[in-house]
This record gives sequence, C-alpha cells and structure tokens, in this order.
Amino acid sequence: MNVQAEHHDGVLVAKVEGRVDSSNSQDFERQLHEAFGDDAGAVVMDLGQLAYISSAGLRVVLLVAKTLGQRNVGISLCSLSGPVQSVFEISGFNRIIQIHENRTAALAAAGK
Amino acid sequence: MSDRSSARAARAANPDYKILVVDDEPDLERLIRQRMRRHIRSGRYGFEFAGNGIEALEKLVELPDIDIVLSDINMPKMDGLTLLQQIPEVNSDIRSVIVSAYGDMENIRTAMNRGAFDFVTKPIDFADLQVTIDRTLRHLDEWRAALASRDKLVALQNELDVATKIQQSILPDTFPHVDGCEIFGCMEAARNVGGDFFDVIRLDRGCLGLAVADVSDKGVPAALFMMSSRTLLKGAAVGVGDPALVLAEVNDLLNETNDAAMFVTVFYGVYDPSTRVLTFSNGGHNPPLVVHADGSSEELELTGGIALGAVPHFEYGQASVQLQPGDLVVFFTDGVTEAINLANEEFGLETLQALFEDGEARSAREAAEMILQAVREFAGEAPQFDDLTCMTLRVADE
Repeated sequence: MNVQAEHHDGVLVAKVEGRVDSSNSQDFERQLHEAFGDDAGAVVMDLGQLAYISSAGLRVVLLVAKTLGQRNVGISLCSLSGPVQSVFEISGFNRIIQIHENRTAALAAAGK
Repeated sequence: MSDRSSARAARAANPDYKILVVDDEPDLERLIRQRMRRHIRSGRYGFEFAGNGIEALEKLVELPDIDIVLSDINMPKMDGLTLLQQIPEVNSDIRSVIVSAYGDMENIRTAMNRGAFDFVTKPIDFADLQVTIDRTLRHLDEWRAALASRDKLVALQNELDVATKIQQSILPDTFPHVDGCEIFGCMEAARNVGGDFFDVIRLDRGCLGLAVADVSDKGVPAALFMMSSRTLLKGAAVGVGDPALVLAEVNDLLNETNDAAMFVTVFYGVYDPSTRVLTFSNGGHNPPLVVHADGSSEELELTGGIALGAVPHFEYGQASVQLQPGDLVVFFTDGVTEAINLANEEFGLETLQALFEDGEARSAREAAEMILQAVREFAGEAPQFDDLTCMTLRVADE
C-alpha cells in the first residue's frame, strides 16, 4: 500500500495504491495524515490503483472524512475499481462520501 | 553519631548494587575498601568477599541479591574458571568479571567462553575496574529491563487469551429448537480477539432475531466495540422490534461516544417460523445468501443502510422475503468471501454459491461447517487476516 500526494490548483489529490487491510491500516492512516497536512482546501482520493480495502481501511477513510469535515474541507473519492466500489456500496459509505467516476469529474466538483 | 553520618551508614548498608570479590589474596579486601570507599559510603556499591570458589558459591546462596562476581582465576579448592561454570546454577542473573594476569590470553579466552562478561588484568588498575564495573551494571540494568518487558508481554498475552475466552463465551453455542426451522452459527477469530459476532435472540410470538456483524478493524479495540454493539443490539431487539428501528437505535447509541470512528456492519433480521417470512434491515453488511432446495441461490437485497456508528440519526430501510420449505439462509461476514489464498485470489461469492449447486439437502450445521471447511481449504497456507463467521437458518422441508 502506498499513498502519493499531488496538488492540482489548491485541490490535494491522494493516490492510493495496493491493498489496505487491518495489517496496514495504521500505516494508511499515518500516510493520509501526512499527505493532507493542514492547508488543503479540498481533498480527492484517487482509488484507481486500490485493489482491495477491508473494513479497517474503511474506518480510516471515515476518520479522515470526519476530521476534514470538522475543518470544512470537502473530500471525495474517484476512479473506484469494481470490487472497491461494491465495498463502499455495501457498507453504505457511498451515502456519506461523494464518489466520482474519474479524476476529472472529481476535480470539477471540487470547484477547480 | 550525627544525623548525616547515620544516613550515610544506612545507605552503605543497603547499596544499589552488590559485588562479590573472590580472591585468595587477603590484602585485596583492604585495598578495595580503601580505593572504592567513596562509592561504598554513597551507597552505590556494596562489597562482599570470598577466598575461593567454594566460599563464593556459599555466599551466592546466602545472598541472592549479588549482582556481579569479580573473580581471580588461580585459587585453592575451586579456581575461577570452575566457579564460572557453577554460577549460573545458583543465580543465572549474575554477571562475572574475571581478574587475570596481564597477557594470559588462554585463560581469558576460556573465561569468556564460559560466560564471563568482561575481564581486568593484574595488577588491578582501579580506574579501569570502575569503568568495567559500571559497564557491567549498565548491561545488567538493560538486561533486567528487557526481561521485565518480556514478562509484561507474556502477562498481556495471557490477558488476551482470557479476552478471547470471554468473547467466545458470549457467542451462542446452543441454538433454540424451534418448530419449522433450524439454526447454527460459528466464528473463527483471526487474531486473539476478533471483531465479528452473531446472535440468535428469542422474541415474542415465537419469532427469532438473527444478527451477524463485523466491527471495523481487529484486535482489542474492535473486541470492546463488538462487546458493546452486541449488548446494545440485544437490548434494542427485545425492546424495539422492527429491524430498521433496532438498527437506528443502536446506531444512535454507538454514535454518542465514538471518536475513533469505529463502526460495525450489521445484518439484523426477524424470522417468523409460522409464516416463514424474514423481515430484515441491512446496516452496511454483506447481504446474506438465500439457497433454494434446487441449489440455486441469490443475495438478499440491500435496504439502503449504512454501517452503524458512522453517522448519527440515519434512517434505515427494511425489506421482507418469503422463504420456502427447504430454503437455507447463509449469514456471513466478509472474512468468508474475502478470504485469500497464497496467489492472492479471493474466495468470492461465486465460490460460496457453487458449494450449494449440487442441490443436496444439508442441515444448518452441515452447511455452516461445509462453508468454513471450504474457506480453510481454499486459503491453504495463507494466513487468516479476517474473522470468519457463518450463521445458517434452515427452513424445514414440507
């Protein structure tokens, strides 16, 4: 699992690769916190290269969304593969976190 | 005696570290007491003396709080090299420093091979002796700290074992006998304490509350969250009734104090054996599988829910399914369908469905055990990352 941060006109895009499960979810949380820092105006998580996410990984996404929400920073996800999409649908998290088909749509919705 | 000198005497009588000096040279005791007097008075070191190996062993038995043995090699009755071999049998926590003639590499090698921690040479350079003693004591302190933390780990491991037993003991191991249906459930935790649970709750009018749940993450925090989720669910199931309202109530209670953003996915259904209707609400959980007598199967619909604990004041949906005689409902956690083998392939829903395609009639227990067995065989040598939980409801044949 690896998180790479890129900036697109004030929107921070975090690209997540690999698998996230309970064995590396703490590392995932740490890497996301490092990537987001304190100054992002909006955050997009690009999950195009995320092969698998377990409930432990979902917890981290929820935690990050809550933390950013408290700072009024919008967060959305994009480019989910089929299996990851279905994890978000089954858990119901697609109801509380915006999911976009691709990065262009996510960046457009983030206002840039 | 003044207050100051009596306090000093008390410190010297109860030193931080005790060193046993073993030498047949009678002058050495006087010399050490003189050269080390400041450390003796300050209470850092205390010295004991023995004239040969035999006397040294007797002292070690008598005084179990000796930290270091400083021993000469050539002595009557028992020499220092023999003493080195005997010390661990009396006290394995002691470190030894050997005093040898300058250049006597052969004896020094032998002493080090027999477990001496360090050596000094004769004539004794007291500054060097002091450095050697302090280094040995530092090593001893670190060694003892390492032992203490290992003991703590062992104690923690024991507590975890107890937690596992408590957790296993709250899962149902006997299942209600109800006319017209049969129920079985089992769980295999991935780590010592898991985050899955299932429950069978007797309700009014012969109805049964059936729950299967999976807490985000594993380990002790997940287990504690699991325990409170399960208790809240049981209370709400008995008090509230409608599955959607049960989940809404538990969700609100879990959201009251949840800074860690933990959540639990829950499928909760109420089965009425008299009508064979299962009414259910899905809180973000893998939909159960309904297997028909002919071996075909389909997932129960999602009811627009979300994992419990994620957001407060959520309105859960609810749906019903009319079960037929011979139907089997398989409730499970994602540990089943997402189990992976060494090639990183998932067990998957299709494999689960394929297990039943033979259309063979199985009891609730046979079906659940067949599933867990199939997952174990599929995973092979791959480590189990997630708890495996499977509960089955078998509707009796007509």
